[in-house]
Amino acid sequence: MFKSVRPTGGGSASEPLGALADEELMQLVYRGAAHAFEVIYDRHAEAAFSLALRICGQGALAEDVTQEAFLSLWRSRARYDRGRGSVRSWVLGIVHNRAIDAVRRRGVRDRGAVRDEDVEAQLPAPERTDLEVARREEAREVRDALEQLPQEQSRVIELAYFGGLTHVEIASVLDTPVGTVKGRMRLGLAKMRSTLAHPAEAMR
Amino acid sequence: MSTRPGAGGHDTFSEDAAAYVLGALADDEHGRFAAHLQGCAACREEVARLQVVVDALPLAAPQLGAPPELKRRIMGAVAGQATGQAPGDAAPREPAAASRHAGSRAPRRSGWRSPRRWALGGVGALAAVAAALALVSLATSGGGAGPRVVRAQVLARGASASLRINGGRAELVLDGMPQVPPRRTYQVWVQRRGAPQPTDALFSVSSSGGATVAVPGNIAGVSAVLVTAEPLGGSRTPTSSPVIVARL
Repeated sequence: MFKSVRPTGGGSASEPLGALADEELMQLVYRGAAHAFEVIYDRHAEAAFSLALRICGQGALAEDVTQEAFLSLWRSRARYDRGRGSVRSWVLGIVHNRAIDAVRRRGVRDRGAVRDEDVEAQLPAPERTDLEVARREEAREVRDALEQLPQEQSRVIELAYFGGLTHVEIASVLDTPVGTVKGRMRLGLAKMRSTLAHPAEAMR
Repeated sequence: MSTRPGAGGHDTFSEDAAAYVLGALADDEHGRFAAHLQGCAACREEVARLQVVVDALPLAAPQLGAPPELKRRIMGAVAGQATGQAPGDAAPREPAAASRHAGSRAPRRSGWRSPRRWALGGVGALAAVAAALALVSLATSGGGAGPRVVRAQVLARGASASLRINGGRAELVLDGMPQVPPRRTYQVWVQRRGAPQPTDALFSVSSSGGATVAVPGNIAGVSAVLVTAEPLGGSRTPTSSPVIVARL
């Protein structure tokens, strides 16, 4: 899960700011410091864009969604409340919401069905910093945890989270009773939690 | 609303927590579950337990670099809005991406298509709480363009809200409001004619349920100010029924 990884330099817009934790940066962002926001962007843009692309399945739409989300973050910066979660969760929560909205608006038929292989045909970003290496490792852990689930559990989680479908829609797509879909969601998430919590539980 | 035996009790909802954190409940179910959460420690605990997994799920997407020109566009727009603006001020409306799609936006999941849903009394899922609805008439102090206070309808028992209007500006003053559900934020909407329009006023409340929130823009021509609970970052069309309605 998201660990408290502090940057060790490189890749950020500004070295002194790059040494600050996200939550410290947000105090500057709150006062309108665009350069602090740039550091936040640098740290989370990859995860944000990757999430948007996974949901939207189209690079141009994913870019629009990422842009819309970060500008919304900038405008609503006064409402960031560190008591309610990490900056990263806040950023990615907004990207997720907007990406799901975007695919619904567009009526993207194939939503949630983007295959990883298609996406991976694009060039992965190089790992430039310790922070990025740590993030990639974290991402691998999460993907592994999802892939280790029985397929019927990972499928309902993917259709809900990346596809934006309700449990009723999923039940219809999979021709499975609604109660079964909810049960699979619960089992799958619980199992992922224990897998991810195994090495270290550093999540807020 | 469900008529199943035990509706409203914990057993009714025991399978809903996972679908809730995944955002996979339809609006009416989401509202019912959120209301249930307020009074059910077991479900709150389950939601918190599963939420950490959902917070990590974005990383299950293949990690790819964002295009460099995207950063230039975003930071360019941010620089344009950064000049000495106090946080929370009304910022220019959604540039670029959002406005491009705004016209064709489809409603989310269910609901909000009918204007009558803006009436608090129509919120079937929350009928029990709605019984506690304190409908307070307009209390005016001073006429014309002078300052005045409009008491709002509030869904939550024990909560109060009023709209202070001075000149063309208005602010909502809240007390005793319930905490916004996890991964949601309160959002202010203004209604002139037709559908309610989103504002950038997103907020949470203090531990005592208090908040003072400026309503962005000029209040002239506004017939109602509303508050809903929305996904973080706010919505362009409401995804839940209003918890506060102030009619002007």
